[in-house]
Amino acid sequence: MANRNSELIEANRELESFSYSVSHDLRAPLRHLGGFSKLLHDEYNDLLDDTAQHYVQIIQNDAKNMGELVDGLLNMGRIGRQQLGCKPVDLNLLLEGVLRDLESESAQRHIEWQIGKLPVVECDSSLMKQVFTNLLANSVKYTRNCNHAVIEVGQFTSDGRVVIFVRDNGAGFEQQYAHKLFGMFQRLHRADEFEGTGVGLATVHRIIQKHGGRIWAEGEVDKGATFFFDLTTSEELHEKARPIGMGASQ
Amino acid sequence: MRHDEIEILYVEDDPSDVELTMAAMRRSKMANTIYIARDGAEALDFLFCRGPHAAREYVSPKFVLLDLKLPKIGGIDVLRAIRNDPRTELVPVIVLTSSNEQRDIIETYKLRVNSYVQKPVDFEKFQQIVQQLGLYWLIVNQSPGTTTSQTGLASSASTGR
Repeated sequence: MANRNSELIEANRELESFSYSVSHDLRAPLRHLGGFSKLLHDEYNDLLDDTAQHYVQIIQNDAKNMGELVDGLLNMGRIGRQQLGCKPVDLNLLLEGVLRDLESESAQRHIEWQIGKLPVVECDSSLMKQVFTNLLANSVKYTRNCNHAVIEVGQFTSDGRVVIFVRDNGAGFEQQYAHKLFGMFQRLHRADEFEGTGVGLATVHRIIQKHGGRIWAEGEVDKGATFFFDLTTSEELHEKARPIGMGASQ
Repeated sequence: MRHDEIEILYVEDDPSDVELTMAAMRRSKMANTIYIARDGAEALDFLFCRGPHAAREYVSPKFVLLDLKLPKIGGIDVLRAIRNDPRTELVPVIVLTSSNEQRDIIETYKLRVNSYVQKPVDFEKFQQIVQQLGLYWLIVNQSPGTTTSQTGLASSASTGR
């Protein structure tokens, strides 16, 4: 047991130094790619023909994408190592903050928000905020081709557990691929349909898992998607939290 | 360039980063005299007028722009040395780095860093940050010891941001 524990500590330390290097060293060349291609575009555009300008644009976009990927990965690593700071959180209050943050993206759109009464749950509020931010930002994104976008957040009880759901009437997905949704870098839409990195839902999955909950999704193409997650009661959570702690929970 | 008139000491080992920062300053119409030190040891030699800079007469820079991951002597140790010397202990130091690791932020704050800024991947954001830093630390901010001021941005009013 003690042996296993020191192995875990060692693995955790390695992971930490790995992500430290990533944040320092991987971002630097990305900044340079993005920066110099931007300078090319801004200051030498006259010298470039259409094809060359197009190539420069591709370099810029890819540098930006990879920057988001790296940040997403680092965030995942951090969540893995982080100790949960659980306390009772009013999900309706939390959601208000998330909706305010999303306003810059959703303000120009006509979206009908249906926010139900949500419970107070024992959770880490900053991580739970990431869950709602990711899920709602997804709903905003995937409903952008809808004439009348409806995004609903609600709850029900199943087997004595609280289930929270986020539902939209957007692009949806094929149910047969639902299991792939939560994989790292997995996407069910082409980049030219909907931009994205495939990190968001993987992060959501990790956070819910870390809280001892489950997450699943239902969808239909062009009809919409619904994401469900349940949260354990505080007693169950304390039981589960004990052997994890070190973060290497997979 | 006369080294006793340096306004900004910029400590950065990566030549691409130096070039990008200089481009950002040029585009922000910052026309300040800058000394670029390529590692932590050179930065301290310059600051404390020793080694190749022994002939320099000590004049405090208006601020130090400091990368953390540096050859020879790392940024955190450079900051510590700055804070431990009575000549430089009050010089504003701004960390400009790739990482936003909590431990770096906490460590540098404990050493009384004046600001901690992560270099964004997006160049436009980076340029805005460089411009804001120049405007704030050269013009807006009052710091001890720098009585001759107002030489900051060459034409900050005309940049339109």
